[in-house]
Amino acid sequence: MSRTTNLILDAGPFRVGVTSSIPSLGDAIAYFYRDVVSTDPDVVLDYNIGLHRPPGLRAMVRPQVVFGVDGQYPFDPQPLENAFPVFEWGLNWCIATSAHRYMMLHAGTIAFGDHAMILPGTPGSGKSTLSAALHLSGARLLSDEFGLVRPETADLLPLPRGIPLKNASIEAILEFDPAAPLGPTYPKTRKGRVRHLRPAAESLRQQHAPARPRWLVFPKYRAGAEEVLAPMPKVEAFRQLAFNCFNYTLLGETAFQAVDRIVDAVDCYTFTFSRLESAVTVLQALAAGKQLAIAAGRDV
Amino acid sequence: MSLLTDYLSDPACVRAWQPREWNRFLPLLRESRLMTRALCLAEAADLIDAVPARIVDQMIGARAQTRYVQVQAMRELGHVLRALQHDGIRVAALKGIAYRVADLPLAQWRGLSDIDLLIDRADLARAEALLLRSGWVVNGEFDDYDQRYYREWMHEVPPLRHAARETEVDLHHNLSPPVSRVRIDATALWREVVDVDGPGGLPVGVLSDCDMLLHNAVHLFMNDELRGGLRDVMDFRDLYMHFGALDAGFERRLLDRAETLQCGLPLYYAVDTAQRLVALAPGKVMVDGLSRHRPSPFPRLAMRWLIDHALAPDRTALRTTALANWLLFVRSHWIRMPKGMLLRHLLRKTMKRRAPVSTIQETPG
Repeated sequence: MSRTTNLILDAGPFRVGVTSSIPSLGDAIAYFYRDVVSTDPDVVLDYNIGLHRPPGLRAMVRPQVVFGVDGQYPFDPQPLENAFPVFEWGLNWCIATSAHRYMMLHAGTIAFGDHAMILPGTPGSGKSTLSAALHLSGARLLSDEFGLVRPETADLLPLPRGIPLKNASIEAILEFDPAAPLGPTYPKTRKGRVRHLRPAAESLRQQHAPARPRWLVFPKYRAGAEEVLAPMPKVEAFRQLAFNCFNYTLLGETAFQAVDRIVDAVDCYTFTFSRLESAVTVLQALAAGKQLAIAAGRDV
Repeated sequence: MSLLTDYLSDPACVRAWQPREWNRFLPLLRESRLMTRALCLAEAADLIDAVPARIVDQMIGARAQTRYVQVQAMRELGHVLRALQHDGIRVAALKGIAYRVADLPLAQWRGLSDIDLLIDRADLARAEALLLRSGWVVNGEFDDYDQRYYREWMHEVPPLRHAARETEVDLHHNLSPPVSRVRIDATALWREVVDVDGPGGLPVGVLSDCDMLLHNAVHLFMNDELRGGLRDVMDFRDLYMHFGALDAGFERRLLDRAETLQCGLPLYYAVDTAQRLVALAPGKVMVDGLSRHRPSPFPRLAMRWLIDHALAPDRTALRTTALANWLLFVRSHWIRMPKGMLLRHLLRKTMKRRAPVSTIQETPG
């Protein structure tokens, strides 16, 4: 018994063809992306991805999945049960290695209306968890780790995808919101235990609406710490934002100009946190306060 | 032949394309490393509006990457030149890095993954030792057999890479292996080398216009790295058209030079291939001049089949592509090595690792 998946996924600015004979992948894509998949074969694609079981005897002993894009197979086969994480990771790889038309920030990005908050950070800084919690509290999800910037305008383009919560973050999010829509648990991936948070339908619906950078917050999770939001000098913010840009050296001057425009347009902070609840309260207040200030500024 | 060669021959064909064509085209373009070339062609023909916006975006991304690797390669070349300059070792840039230092139109689109340099054979050991003393390391693992293979039978030493940087540096003492059937007199090349300003104002040589094309032709003729072969055919066409436009006597000079260096046959195949795959239009001088280098029908037609299937595959032709690639691989070694040596080499390589044909995979499942 085999079900074949053959669909087109709209992922922000990218359109992705997906073919697969693996039922768990079809189920996961249906769960996470129901509103942004279609089957129209007559559209232009950025990437044509296939996930299949490799042939051979070994596959019968230990079932595996192999990721292919445009007829190339860049990775070793992975355990079959991880088909969905492999798809997500592989699509990110496609984007990260080819989409230099955009500046790519290693950052969670969320928006309040059309005003974006950028949360850059190295793995472990808590940016994914914080983005997830803010999203669950009503903020629009742009991306949990891909801040896509159009260099000409310094606008952020949404790329809303399932947010991969890792290990203790899963429980932290469930504690924050017991009704959080989480997908299946993947107990053994290369990043440990992973469960994805499904993006809200509204964020997917608005995935082609760019947002203007308004706040730049460098989160730092520290167990047991009080939530402290501290202003950050722009010179330092520039340096750290550039450091958190995947293709900064590749884009050269284009990236320099874009980072400069962003830093110029935003208020910059460092943010130490440990409790999600109060962390969200602090950042929501920041967003609300600044939105009022903008409104007031416009009235004057 | 394929959508890719259709496009390279006449970009205006895209006006008739539907999503189905674009979806077959983009993977071919990516694999052949011609994304940036394709963008420049579309721009030059004022066709950007006829290309779907998301494909243009992908091409713009590729151009950013091309520019970056060129900057990296130029910086690396600067390091190499500084390491070698006090010992009076002459260096000539080859292929991609040469197009960049010579500021040819190809520099607008030509990517490169390593820098290829020509060093006089008398200086080669000294150059290699100097680089190894100055922070470069051998890039990869080479056992005694591999070392001997390179040093005795090949026209280059094992590739080098600076310990702290990515770019590979290949030192050649000739354009073809010393044991091969196409033997080029390297001192004749050096007599025509032209010095240009390299990175940091350091002088670096480039081959003469004719020799650049003949190098490309020899490379295609002995090609065993086939996946990006069409890129080299485009280089040949682009160089040919550029130099031809600068000098009305270019084709005559190229023919004469091919005679001198005994590269008539490679030139024949290069012109024939570029003509058929990417619409090179050689003048009467060239067509007439090449007729005496034309092989007899069987090898000529067999070679055409091999080249077309290896260099211009459509997606549907994967199986014949794999076969053509394998035959060309064997053939390239056939030309390069005397038969006894070839047998020993292939036997050893076959036992040591899987055949190169396996780099082309069928869709599994």
